[in-house]
Amino acid sequence: MTIGSRKHGVGYYVITVVAVLITIVMIFPLYWMVATSVKSAAESQLIIPTLFPREFHFENYLNVLTRANFLKYYWNTIVMTAGVLILQIGTGTLAAYGFAFGKFKGRDIMFYIVLGALMIPLQVTFIPIFIMCSGWGLQDTFLGLILPEAVSAYYIFMMRNSFMAVDQSYVDAGLIDGLSRFGTIQHVLVPMCKATIFTVTLVTFSNGWNAYFWPKIIAKNEVRRVLTVGLAQLKQTFAGQAVSNYHEIMAGAVLAVLPLVILFMIFQKYMMTGYSKAAMK
Amino acid sequence: MKKTISLLLALVMALSLCACGNSTGGQTSQPPAQSNAPADPGAYEVTEPITITWWHALEDQYSADVERIVKGFNDSQDLITVEAQYIGAYKDVNEALVSAHAAGSGLPAVCVANTDYVAQYGANGVFENLDAYISGTGYDVTDFSTGLLLSSQYEGKQVAMPFLHSTQVIYYNKTMADEKGITIPEKIEDFEAFLKAGAEACGGYGTMIPGWDQWYFETLYLNEGVKIITDDNTCDLNSEAALKMTNQFHDWYEAGLIAWPFGPDASSGMRQTFYEGKTFSVMHTSSLYNNYVDNCDFEVGMAWYPAASTGDKYSEVGGCVLGIPAKNDQATKNAAWQFLQYLVGKEVNMDWAKVTGYIPTRNSVLTTDEGVKFLEEKPAFKCVFDNLNLINPRIQNAAWSELATTWKNYMDNMMNQGGDISSESEAMVEEIDEILADRG
Amino acid sequence: MTDSPARTPQSGQTGIQEKKPLLTARTKSKIVDFLFVVPALALLALFTYYPVAKLVQISFTDWNLLSPTWDWVGPKNWIWLFTGSGAKYLWNSLKITFLYSLGEIFATLVGGMILALIFSRMTRGFSAMRAILFVPKYVAMSSCAVVFMWILNTDYGVLNYFLSLAGAAPVDWLGQKSTALISVLMTTCWRVLGYGMMIYLSAMIGISPQYYEAAALDGATRTQQFFSITLPLLSPTTLFLLVTTFLSSMKVFQSVDILTEGGPSRSTEVFVYLIYRYAMVDFRMDRAATSAVMFFVILLAITVATMKYSNNSVNYDS
Repeated sequence: MTIGSRKHGVGYYVITVVAVLITIVMIFPLYWMVATSVKSAAESQLIIPTLFPREFHFENYLNVLTRANFLKYYWNTIVMTAGVLILQIGTGTLAAYGFAFGKFKGRDIMFYIVLGALMIPLQVTFIPIFIMCSGWGLQDTFLGLILPEAVSAYYIFMMRNSFMAVDQSYVDAGLIDGLSRFGTIQHVLVPMCKATIFTVTLVTFSNGWNAYFWPKIIAKNEVRRVLTVGLAQLKQTFAGQAVSNYHEIMAGAVLAVLPLVILFMIFQKYMMTGYSKAAMK
Repeated sequence: MKKTISLLLALVMALSLCACGNSTGGQTSQPPAQSNAPADPGAYEVTEPITITWWHALEDQYSADVERIVKGFNDSQDLITVEAQYIGAYKDVNEALVSAHAAGSGLPAVCVANTDYVAQYGANGVFENLDAYISGTGYDVTDFSTGLLLSSQYEGKQVAMPFLHSTQVIYYNKTMADEKGITIPEKIEDFEAFLKAGAEACGGYGTMIPGWDQWYFETLYLNEGVKIITDDNTCDLNSEAALKMTNQFHDWYEAGLIAWPFGPDASSGMRQTFYEGKTFSVMHTSSLYNNYVDNCDFEVGMAWYPAASTGDKYSEVGGCVLGIPAKNDQATKNAAWQFLQYLVGKEVNMDWAKVTGYIPTRNSVLTTDEGVKFLEEKPAFKCVFDNLNLINPRIQNAAWSELATTWKNYMDNMMNQGGDISSESEAMVEEIDEILADRG
Repeated sequence: MTDSPARTPQSGQTGIQEKKPLLTARTKSKIVDFLFVVPALALLALFTYYPVAKLVQISFTDWNLLSPTWDWVGPKNWIWLFTGSGAKYLWNSLKITFLYSLGEIFATLVGGMILALIFSRMTRGFSAMRAILFVPKYVAMSSCAVVFMWILNTDYGVLNYFLSLAGAAPVDWLGQKSTALISVLMTTCWRVLGYGMMIYLSAMIGISPQYYEAAALDGATRTQQFFSITLPLLSPTTLFLLVTTFLSSMKVFQSVDILTEGGPSRSTEVFVYLIYRYAMVDFRMDRAATSAVMFFVILLAITVATMKYSNNSVNYDS
């Protein structure tokens, strides 16, 4: 939209200044999180805060990792996210194939049933699910964390749309060449829909990593506590020492966001388009 | 899309009919387990190696002590291995325990519980009745302070044992008090003058009353003759005496003499305010004595709450008890009973009392030379020792925690949010009455 | 999609046998196709549709998580929800949820659009700034919440410090009714602004420059161009953002749980938090289930209404 604006008017510079200011404001919370995380307890509680840390206390991170058990929470989060991801991709890809190319009665109605699930979030259904899961002894277990999230209507929907965009003839060719249906998915569909799969998977990964509501309900014990819940509890865990322990809480916050932000830096393009792709359909 | 929706609705209806057909869900078939095991001592012996878990609410600052004490038990015998697990604050432990109890799985062998959950757990069979264990193994409970023993009973049944106990006290800036000649009043009538003097001396509040937990102010109501739950199972927090107290708090609040901290950050905020000398005193639990002393660069004094206009100056027991979740199997319970005895034993108890502000639970400490020695180390605890027989058990009602939540929320509204006292109290009592009628 | 080429060799084989006319190759193939969607459907039935039915059932009992038994109590909970003490909190949390929702929608739509206009320049510097604005979307809400809890802290919060430089008195952001919801919204805004901007930007790029050239020839000003070309052409995007933001904002829980626990005086008690409180704090499964059914009905009604209105031109997902 700014094509051809060679001669820069005043407006051009005003917009530049405004944009830079907004960026500074937007990045400030992140900066403040990192800056506080290396301050000492005393420095974090100065009436006039130091905008740049006077000295660096990396032991805050060590405290959080070991004393507050964040290493354990990391492991729990990784296993949970991986489990959710694998199951959602598995069930989602199969179902997407079935809905895109299958020829069975009631296919469209069943697809609508899947879509309907988008309207019923876990925040509505958590009570019966919690009762079921705890009845099966799944409290404080990985299975309990993963199972209710094993299928994602969103994932099925996105994958089906993506598969439908593939010409039927490719699929037919695959079958004629003696590929099984799995083979078709693996060798024909997945390579052709790589970009979508990648972005949708990234979104799913981010949702899994940031999950809070369900893990808080099903995994109350520190044995299976995940990062997000552990972070919210950090205040209580360190209660009683230096009262306001925000320097350690911020260290925990940095640790919790680090993997995703690194991922974002690497796959910036995909992650930014990941969401907009959904919007374009 | 219309078709889809109607289809979905039909599906939901159909499913809901199915669901209603089998009414087993949620209904726990087995009755709450009672200890009907025979009373011969052998029944409670641990014969095979077993690993059990202990859920506690002791934060990171106590982790070394927890480790040391658990190790002490594990090394003392060969059969039982204890794993201590930190769950969170008392309310987190409560949520986790009740969930596990409802599921009947994932239960700890031994669990801490804040003193006000005892009735709830006793009434609903969450905790095992320990009477049979006590008589079966000939365990001597006579050395426990009677008030503490009572507060871990429900309807005469010993459903828990006293573990870490504290009571409500006022911490004050002793350095400043001595300097300005301010004394902590004995009577509530003199409290306002004290608040004014304190507020003036420190340039902040006279005191801070924790609004996040009604335990800190409920005792002031009780001493004024308010029953909170009356004999006919209604709430009298809008009685004349109660309203007088509430209005009194409100007047002090409006005059800037007190603060009423509330919300997730309230507890640490209040302590911080005190450390920095921006409040002359705070009302808090005696268990945090060491924290206050360690964090303040002035001398910390500890005083008993002022006596009410009725002359009463009771306090209520705080802290936590230990219980054995009833849905464990017998082998686990037996091992749990061994560990529980160790935890509530005199030695471990004194260990805790030294490193924290929890009070000794044993008569043989409280009333003997040992107590005198303890006081020499922690002279501030004299006010607690002087008033030991005034520490009452908590109100025991199965609906208590729901009531308490309602109460403290309304109090926050009346203090901090400018809610009208009489109309809010009216609405609050109406709501609490409904809770009591429903559950009590 | 007309002919069915699957497994032609096999159908020849079964043709020879001709003993099982019930299961022709076609049927078999259909069954195999169907099997692909079975895992997903089964899991959805178990973890989405069955629980809804179960909720309806629980709402007619007096089930408390603590007590070992329960009874049918008829519509008692529903009466409580609409006329008893439940009604007060139901309306309160509905009001708060919608206020919150309105705030988040405003931030995403209006804020996102304004940012999209400011940050539309296709230079390296602007691309980097866009990336920075988008990062918060990937910051876990729990991290967001604790960071803002710290920034908003009354005594040591950096926001109050900046305000004090301007001569303002410290504000107890999370502790008073008038500012608590705004504080929660502030946290949300930080997270969604960049997201709204990205969605609008990628849609704007899709608008053919010819429209603008034609308009410019007609003498339309930039502002006129925006209102007569950009905005109308972006309406599907706007609708998409509206629906998805609305649905996700209705589910808000995490920020409230960490920042305010629904307080002070229930001034931030959004609907999901209300249900959570009944279920996991009070252990009143009966009341929680009744409220959850109510919540489901509201979500359903709104979704149906939106879909009817939007004529299926958008999809709704998070």
